[in-house]
Amino acid sequence: MCLAVPHTVVKIMDENRALVSTGGVELEVRTDLIEDLQVGDVVLVHAGFVIEKYNEDEGKELESLWEEVMQFASGR
Amino acid sequence: MGRLSLGHGSGGRLTNDLIKEIASTFARGSGMLEFEDCALLPGGWGVTIDGFTVSPLSFPGGDIGKLAICGSVNDLAVRGVRPLWLAMSLLAEEGLDEEELFVYMRSAASVCAELGVQLVAGDTKVLPRGEADRLYITTCAMGKNEAISPWGIKEVSPGDAIIVSGPVGRHGAVIASLRYDIKLRELESDCAPLWPLIEPLTRLRGVHAARDCTRGGLGTVLCEWAEGANVGIEIDEEAIPADGDVSAVSDILGFDPLYLACEGTAVFAVALERAETVLETLRSHPIGRSAAVIGKATEAHPGLVGLRTAAGGMRVVDMQGGELLPRIC
Amino acid sequence: MPQVGDLRAKMSSLLEALDKWLCRPITVMEVCGTHTVSIFRSGIRTMLPEGVRLLSGPGCPVCVTDQAEVDAMVRLAKGPGVVLATYGDMVRVPGSCGSLAEARASGAEVAVVSSAIQALALAGSIQDKEIVFAGIGFETTAPATAVLLREARSKNVKNLSVLSLHKLVPPVLRLLASDPMLNIDGFLLPGHVSTIIGTAPYAFLAEEYGKACAVAGFEPLDIMAGIVEIARQICEGRPAVRRLYGRVVRHEGNVKAQELLEEVFRPASVRWRGIGLVEASGLVLANDYSDFDAYSRFGITLEEVSPPAGCRCGDVLAGRITPPECPLFGRSCTPQFPVGPCMVSSEGSCSAYYRYSSKGVSPWGA
Repeated sequence: MCLAVPHTVVKIMDENRALVSTGGVELEVRTDLIEDLQVGDVVLVHAGFVIEKYNEDEGKELESLWEEVMQFASGR
Repeated sequence: MGRLSLGHGSGGRLTNDLIKEIASTFARGSGMLEFEDCALLPGGWGVTIDGFTVSPLSFPGGDIGKLAICGSVNDLAVRGVRPLWLAMSLLAEEGLDEEELFVYMRSAASVCAELGVQLVAGDTKVLPRGEADRLYITTCAMGKNEAISPWGIKEVSPGDAIIVSGPVGRHGAVIASLRYDIKLRELESDCAPLWPLIEPLTRLRGVHAARDCTRGGLGTVLCEWAEGANVGIEIDEEAIPADGDVSAVSDILGFDPLYLACEGTAVFAVALERAETVLETLRSHPIGRSAAVIGKATEAHPGLVGLRTAAGGMRVVDMQGGELLPRIC
Repeated sequence: MPQVGDLRAKMSSLLEALDKWLCRPITVMEVCGTHTVSIFRSGIRTMLPEGVRLLSGPGCPVCVTDQAEVDAMVRLAKGPGVVLATYGDMVRVPGSCGSLAEARASGAEVAVVSSAIQALALAGSIQDKEIVFAGIGFETTAPATAVLLREARSKNVKNLSVLSLHKLVPPVLRLLASDPMLNIDGFLLPGHVSTIIGTAPYAFLAEEYGKACAVAGFEPLDIMAGIVEIARQICEGRPAVRRLYGRVVRHEGNVKAQELLEEVFRPASVRWRGIGLVEASGLVLANDYSDFDAYSRFGITLEEVSPPAGCRCGDVLAGRITPPECPLFGRSCTPQFPVGPCMVSSEGSCSAYYRYSSKGVSPWGA
């Protein structure tokens, strides 16, 4: 129920607006739901609002699942 | 019968059903319309008509003038018909800037000059302010069939290779971006005349059908082929030429590029043994450089179009079902 | 995630792991319409082994919007001097007297927006009309409506109000988990709702009901990994809520968004189409924002409306039947002429089955 797309922040326009882009496509979005946004941050945008910043470090549980999956797959 | 909805004009199933209803009103006494992009008349002539209501009137890659010519001559081109003559009707809203009108007329004239198409008849009406959305253009194009074998839905046969001339959905993505405030750095409409790309194919055997993927997109065309020719079609998502910006716009608005309009991209059904030759011919033209085989027609599951997904699964491709609306869900 | 290998190869690896970890037939329910669509579009169902039954739950906000709420929206739109602004998803949903699209064809003013904040701009540019924003969606989308309301209040905008149709996911999960008829072994949990609420609200599913859970993203790999994780939890007898979308889901969620929701809304018991009243499962405007409540501004009361005869949307939404088992599916109820919202919404199960699996009789399964 939540179509959301990752974008990179290219410009902070003011305290609640930023310009984000994916490739050659740019969008003005609202940033009211997020703190400390910086240019270069990768963010998740839903219905014109940034709802979260991407944080690859937090992906530990998925990483460990993959490690087990790959171990099993290569063990065959 | 209810009221017409925007879905009736979007090029998918509702549009097809409406056209069939209208055609059947005429069938009594005057002969059925063929459900092709252009009609082939006795003597080898081809004729087509199309109305253009694009908003905004100007967009990256073109404007309503360019679109009005390309749209009609492309409908001829995909049946192997060389465009020769054009009749044009303008419905303008009171208050439209004359200089702006002539920008569009010059765009249109430029395409005609490029193709050697002559404007032979025209009509202009001005409606009171508020009764038309700035400008509508209708063009009727006519020309001579040069294909050495018949091109049409009924010729699509099991075993045919399905070939697309370039990345799909560019025009639709551009218009949607303008409508929903998405800025584009590079993406332009693919609006272009297809005759120069298609003309060399008219001399080849083995071309069975061609279509330009306008409203309703590639997905709708393939469904029309599958149903009209009673064949199955299978395509591979990985093989479809894609444009990164079209994908980005589609992801943001929740659209599927398979259903976004193209205005200068064609799909072909070609006998398998001729596929290489057709590909080489297409790729030798600037607008056909990314032409690719995307799948094939089959005897299996007649009437159905299947897609092998990037993930490796299979899904059915249905016709676009009504107005294309952005979604948040 | 493995860095090398293409998507199809990675999917194969996951399928091998699933093969190993599937100790018995399992029933997994996904409760996010975006998962429903992703699953169909990627053809994942056609790749799953026999023993995995994947049910679509009430995760399509449009589909669970009660008939009475749709009717209220359509009536509002038809009102003189009103512009009804909403997301595209809602435009074709049929009410008792037609949809917003049909109302528009008869002269009602309906504005499709891709972001809630556009309703504010509309109110500014159309001063002589009342703009009503119909807010649909779950916890992912409600914060945007909250921002709209906060800004409208701070700018003292007079001609804007909000019809809140927002709903909450955890309460309906509890209902589904406790339904003995459904026999759900595990839940694929909504990735983006979780971005807002975090993973703590789902803990009861594993702790109280012993359900295996995975919070998953929306790429085919994410979804398949979620299913693999659920199978493994079941096989090893250790139900938990695993956060497999950590790249955007923090355990605590988006606290700022949560605080905003608490400021602007309060929970209320609302009716979910086909399911009935679910306690504390909807969001209504808090007292401080009651001036902007379209229900009170326009005197809207919601009567109980029965869905159209034969419509089994509710059973589909609760996962009791699959769309092809509804007698109307593919006959009187199609995407072109939908009877219920499950067929209209691009995320609705029925629409997905119809479009992506050829009316449920796809030659490739699913």
